[in-house]
Amino acid sequence: MHVGLHHYLFVSFMLFSLGLLGVIMRRNLLVIYMSLELMLNAANLALVAFSRFNNKLDGQVLVFFIITVAAAEVAVGLALIVALYRKRQSAHVEDLTSMKL
Amino acid sequence: MNASLMTLELCVIALGTMLLLADFWVPAERKKFLAYAAIAALGGLLAISFNGGGICNPGSAFNGSFVNDALAIFFKRFFLLAAILVLFIAAEFSTRLAEAVSEYYSLILFALAGMLFAASSNDFAMLFVSIELITITFYVLVSFQRGKINSLEAGVKYLILGALSSAFMIFGIALIWGTTGELRFDKLAEFLARTPQLASSQIFLLGVLLVLVGLGFKIAAFPFQIWAPDVYQGAPTPTTAFLAIGSKAAGFVLLLRVLFTAVPAVAHQWTNLLIVISGITILYGNLCALPQRNLKRLLGYSSISHAGYLLLGVAALSANGQAAVLYYLAGYLFTVLAAFAVIAIVLKNVENEDISSLAGLNQRSPLLAATMTIAMVSLAGIPPLAGFFGKFLLLKAVIEQDATHPGYYCLAFTALAGVIISLYYYFGVIRVIYWSREPADVVAIELSSPAKGFIWVCLAGIFWLGLFPNTVLNFANEAAAALGK
Repeated sequence: MHVGLHHYLFVSFMLFSLGLLGVIMRRNLLVIYMSLELMLNAANLALVAFSRFNNKLDGQVLVFFIITVAAAEVAVGLALIVALYRKRQSAHVEDLTSMKL
Repeated sequence: MNASLMTLELCVIALGTMLLLADFWVPAERKKFLAYAAIAALGGLLAISFNGGGICNPGSAFNGSFVNDALAIFFKRFFLLAAILVLFIAAEFSTRLAEAVSEYYSLILFALAGMLFAASSNDFAMLFVSIELITITFYVLVSFQRGKINSLEAGVKYLILGALSSAFMIFGIALIWGTTGELRFDKLAEFLARTPQLASSQIFLLGVLLVLVGLGFKIAAFPFQIWAPDVYQGAPTPTTAFLAIGSKAAGFVLLLRVLFTAVPAVAHQWTNLLIVISGITILYGNLCALPQRNLKRLLGYSSISHAGYLLLGVAALSANGQAAVLYYLAGYLFTVLAAFAVIAIVLKNVENEDISSLAGLNQRSPLLAATMTIAMVSLAGIPPLAGFFGKFLLLKAVIEQDATHPGYYCLAFTALAGVIISLYYYFGVIRVIYWSREPADVVAIELSSPAKGFIWVCLAGIFWLGLFPNTVLNFANEAAAALGK
């Protein structure tokens, strides 16, 4: 079987949708955060596939920027979630309710 | 390639790093003054940018992905001014930030650097990186009061929704790049003009839509506004002020560039969408603000409605509309920062920022009471203040376009309805200040001299933009002209 651009894009769409589904359905902050990373990597896969099949390198360069930015985001994000866990003893979204109306 | 165009950004980053280093040597009780040092340095940069000294030369660098056109220069001055005023609020607020106050100042400067890059970005990679520099810095700024559960919760909510919106945006960029092979805005527009069938390609349009979702999150437009009230309420007041003005303006400069430089054909195709989003954002912000009792939450909803008003100018799809957006942002800068400064000063010892804690403010400090009143009146859009003239320009731009699309009349009517609804809650705040029946604490508020200076600058700005609009309007027209090229 020949693997073409469409196959890569299909996998990328699937990863993106799974990530989005995880963000919407899951209730644990860490799992939500993992799903978000999945969405970013779906974009990375699409960029690399486009780059390979269009014979242009810009997309692959952009992927490096995305990986770097995602690393910074994870560093800050995990620190925040840990700080919240220490305060609340919980990492569930149902417990994030101290502000209303 | 001409890297010297980035002098301003490099200066701001260097300043932020120097503040971090200075933290080692400055004794704890003097750290507040680091803010004044930063203000002086930024003020110097702002003055040089007006004097034509090399930091704001027109031109482009890095293969065209970084441009310094009139629009970029307008927004760079805007962001410098915003950061200067926010640092004043931060200095007033510093006693509540425990010992890490110099980190707070330098984070404000790093966010400022992100905004300056955003003002100059002419490329999707640049757009993504500058937006992320702003957003990641804001995650930390929002949750800076680690001891307070509200601040942490606001930070986590901003983190999850911010990361979600950047995932959408980067996927959109991937689709746009995949279908066109261009990342630069002007090249993309050329490509789109050469291949008109692209404007009906589903994948390309999905890409543009996803990028707009990411930007809609930054400006808190409906339906991506859910984070705004909680984050505005939980974040430390200077952060809220910077979010309300800096982060929103960065979203708008990128939105203008993407819509009118990169994909003008799509923008015209999606007039309906822009009109509907603008109308719903105005109504949603104003209606939800009505029952609010927390001042910062109220201003959060009010900022959603102001995003709606600003979208009027975007939906008008005309140079006048774009200039009106810039003018409105300039007026909003002074107004909203004046309001947040009063909140930061008056509510020093109050744990919850309920509107009732402003009771009797006219006896405690007539100057602060007058400032809050003028800020509220300007936000509501009453002449002769800045908010009125900005709204007038936006509505004028929308009504001018009525011949092209019948929806513009409905939109103008919705905006007027929104203004009338907003009078109720803005005057609710003023009523509490002057005519509150509740027994108020009547200890006079001592204003430090920098705080006084800050308040006079904001008041002068509000009246100046309302009464003598020409100077700024000329800048705004010049800047908007740079978009259509």
